[in-house]
Amino acid sequence: MSLTVTPEAGTTTPSRPSPAAVPPTVEAVRTRRVVPLVRTAAGGLAVAVTVLLLASVITFALGALSDSNPAAAVLGETATADDIARMNHEFGLDRPLHVQYASWLGHAVQGDLGQSWFTTIPVADSIKQALPVDLSIAALALLLAIVIGGSAGIGAALSNGGPLDRLVTLVCSVLATLPPFVIGMALIVVFSVKLQLLPSGGYVPIDQDPAQWLRFAILPSLALSLDVAASIARQLRTSMVTALGENYAVGAEMRGYGRSRVLFGHVLRNAAAPTLAVIGLAIPLIVGGAVITERLFGLPGVAQLALQSAERGDVPVVLGTLLVTAVVVVVASSVVNALQKVLDPAARRQGVRR
Amino acid sequence: MTALRNLWRIPTARFALVVLAGIAFLTVFGGALAPHDPLKQYTDHVLEGPSATHWLGTDYVGRDVLSRLMSGTRLSVVGAAEAVIIGAALGVPSGLASAWLGPRLEWLTLRISDTLVILPFTVFAIAVAGTLGNGLQQAMFAIGVLISPIFFRVTRSVAMGMRRQQYVEAAELMGATEWWTLRTHIWSKVLPNVAVTFAQATGAALLVVASLSFLGLGVSPPAPTWGGMLASDLDYLAQQPWAPVFPGLLMMAAVGSLNLLADAVREATGDARRRRRSTPRTASPAQSRHEAQRQTKETARA
Repeated sequence: MSLTVTPEAGTTTPSRPSPAAVPPTVEAVRTRRVVPLVRTAAGGLAVAVTVLLLASVITFALGALSDSNPAAAVLGETATADDIARMNHEFGLDRPLHVQYASWLGHAVQGDLGQSWFTTIPVADSIKQALPVDLSIAALALLLAIVIGGSAGIGAALSNGGPLDRLVTLVCSVLATLPPFVIGMALIVVFSVKLQLLPSGGYVPIDQDPAQWLRFAILPSLALSLDVAASIARQLRTSMVTALGENYAVGAEMRGYGRSRVLFGHVLRNAAAPTLAVIGLAIPLIVGGAVITERLFGLPGVAQLALQSAERGDVPVVLGTLLVTAVVVVVASSVVNALQKVLDPAARRQGVRR
Repeated sequence: MTALRNLWRIPTARFALVVLAGIAFLTVFGGALAPHDPLKQYTDHVLEGPSATHWLGTDYVGRDVLSRLMSGTRLSVVGAAEAVIIGAALGVPSGLASAWLGPRLEWLTLRISDTLVILPFTVFAIAVAGTLGNGLQQAMFAIGVLISPIFFRVTRSVAMGMRRQQYVEAAELMGATEWWTLRTHIWSKVLPNVAVTFAQATGAALLVVASLSFLGLGVSPPAPTWGGMLASDLDYLAQQPWAPVFPGLLMMAAVGSLNLLADAVREATGDARRRRRSTPRTASPAQSRHEAQRQTKETARA
């Protein structure tokens, strides 16, 4: 999927009153710097909390719309109406929906996602066991995507119109037309079937043996990262080509700053903001792609848990995985947003200028 | 009509339309034209390479790969189209409406679209399959709901921009109803953008549908789909490392053509605001820098 960043009209932070009347003392300058940052942080937090609440409503609604119940799921066809009523009462499913939602959310905030209908193992425990697999793979994939996409984008922008630029553009367009798992299959064929260098499946936890973990994790992460790397490269190239032609970059070069100083000190800093926005949009793609990568490389992660539970109709586990995934994505996106605010000189200035 | 004629003048659009017509043909007639029954297992021809009887070889239970590919096109394409239509039906009207809503409701619609954007396709589809049942309709509904924010945002940003145009404001001041302004002034400007988004979203949906059938969601085996074929190839990569190439190439052709078509529609309708990747490749760096600068200024103005 191609990612493009369009400025969103409704998402800007509320403008604050003009600071022109305040005499420019040191303190005033400091508040002028701090207040917009605090405001931005508060606005971001409000958005994140609302999004999480809505995600929990959607998740709960899926469970409520489902016609499966614990008795039918566990006992199958043999469940009598009596059994169903008894089990529903046991899991609290005979209460009104809003009461159920409140208690589900209240427990979820405290880290209790209920119990599996089949094994009565707490859902939080199963997820806690599986989540590190996805998180470590996704984090490594993000790192690889930034390194690969970043260097490809910078290289393409510097050779604007040259052979490297054309190569990067071509590879990016090809990658955008393939689902990530086909890339993963190609990697398996090359690295484990033909070259016999890396295992095609399996997993060792990172806290047991980091070197072995890397051996098992590098192929899945690479497969996961290439799609996003292509988006990053494309965006970085576009914004760097623009920034290189801006007056401040030309001016800095004319004042005698070295090429690398201009590139890394001025141009990259300004080009980073839209690229970070692309990375923020790519986080759901990476987390969702991790699911497919798990199946591809036989990793014992959240996806295996969710798929198995979905097959059995184990609703609490399925809802738990969806909610935890949403939380992971929101937290990661908030971090990226914060980084964007800190890094981008223009976005920092904006609060003062208004 | 002129837009269509302009579109046909662009060579890449012609190429894309021809490929897409081929895929549409396969969607309708692929099953009937397939040389073998896609489900028949030739058990003495398991995992064979291309031959005179089986042009693209056979899979792990001896089913003809070409026939499976041809008849699998229907489920893959129809699924993606269904998801995109659901997404457009949800996203376009709400996007248009959100330009007229008050700030509170607008904030809420934006947050709903934010929420749908952060939910990963695969995890959400698994959850839908686990709660509402594992079927094609449920999976396509899940994808459609998650695709709708794309349409919502595009429609909304165009509609917001149009509302600030003087002639629209003038029409409203002269007492035109909202419905009339929408029909006469705004809809014709929104439509090209929706068309571009439609092409892009269909490409994305094709990939997502393939991913889901790769996971065994939506379409249950043995019914052939592109993603399902890739999933069964996965376990036999050691014997048939080239097997994923055929479904992969078909998918690449479909998605690539849709992307080309989206770019061409953008070009044909003359929407300079969203033309971003059209830096001329042959231009010297200085020239293309200038070009990029001009484009940014246009973006800033729009």
